[in-house]
Amino acid sequence: MTDTDHDARITQLQTQQGLMTQALAAALEGKWQGAGSVEAFLYALDPSLQGQLEPDPPVLTS
Amino acid sequence: MSSAALDQLDAQQQLLTDSLARMVQGQWTGFPSLQADIEALSPGIQLAPRPPVLESDAGPETPTGWWAEYDPNTYMPGQVNSWSCSACALAWVLRATQLNPNASEQSEIAEIGYPQNINPTYGLMDGSGAQLRRVIGQYGVATEQAWLGYDDVYAIFGDTTGLMSGGAWYHWVGVRGHDGGNLWIANSAEGYKGVYSTLTREQFNALGPFSCVWLLH
Repeated sequence: MTDTDHDARITQLQTQQGLMTQALAAALEGKWQGAGSVEAFLYALDPSLQGQLEPDPPVLTS
Repeated sequence: MSSAALDQLDAQQQLLTDSLARMVQGQWTGFPSLQADIEALSPGIQLAPRPPVLESDAGPETPTGWWAEYDPNTYMPGQVNSWSCSACALAWVLRATQLNPNASEQSEIAEIGYPQNINPTYGLMDGSGAQLRRVIGQYGVATEQAWLGYDDVYAIFGDTTGLMSGGAWYHWVGVRGHDGGNLWIANSAEGYKGVYSTLTREQFNALGPFSCVWLLH
């Protein structure tokens, strides 16, 4: 693996880490679907999931 | 960092992504599930799951208001004028939701406000869609607007309808929902810039940035 490949993989992992953090924050705030939701961040992490998910989110208490 | 360590991080990242997919789909325990992913990430971990009540447990939500009436297959005629795509998209939303079954290109040019808000020189004057929101609001329906990327737009239009316009497209369309991984649109100018009834991620990225207006229910 070249240094460039190595750096690219680390950059990708950092990006994924950022998206994962935002997705967890969205979950904590009960944003499961729509803009800025867990579902949206999930599509950013893995675009191949578009058209594949069948959302069944938790019932929110507030 | 060694290549082996990066491989391990990649594998862990895939499991974390899958964990999110399981949560969104209500798969908290069993297999596949969030619990199974956590156990794969951390072998030997002792878990005492307390999964949440899911929307499916609570029974199907009964659609109300315009959402109960919404028909994504509502016909979209071709636009008569070259500058009135926004009026056509607005009319489609009003017909598809039955907020105004008789809405047309001409009626919505009038409701948007001719010529101060829409005219042959510039089309829709405010590209964010503020006047489109005002008209929908007059029918008693709340909307939201934002400039968004594909993943957010895709997530939104899995659960509502609305309109959107790409800056490089200079064209408004209604959004019917999804067609697989693509957006399914109501397009009054099919074929314009190579777009017909669906919009792919690649087309979206090439024709943006996109202002999206969506109806709340």
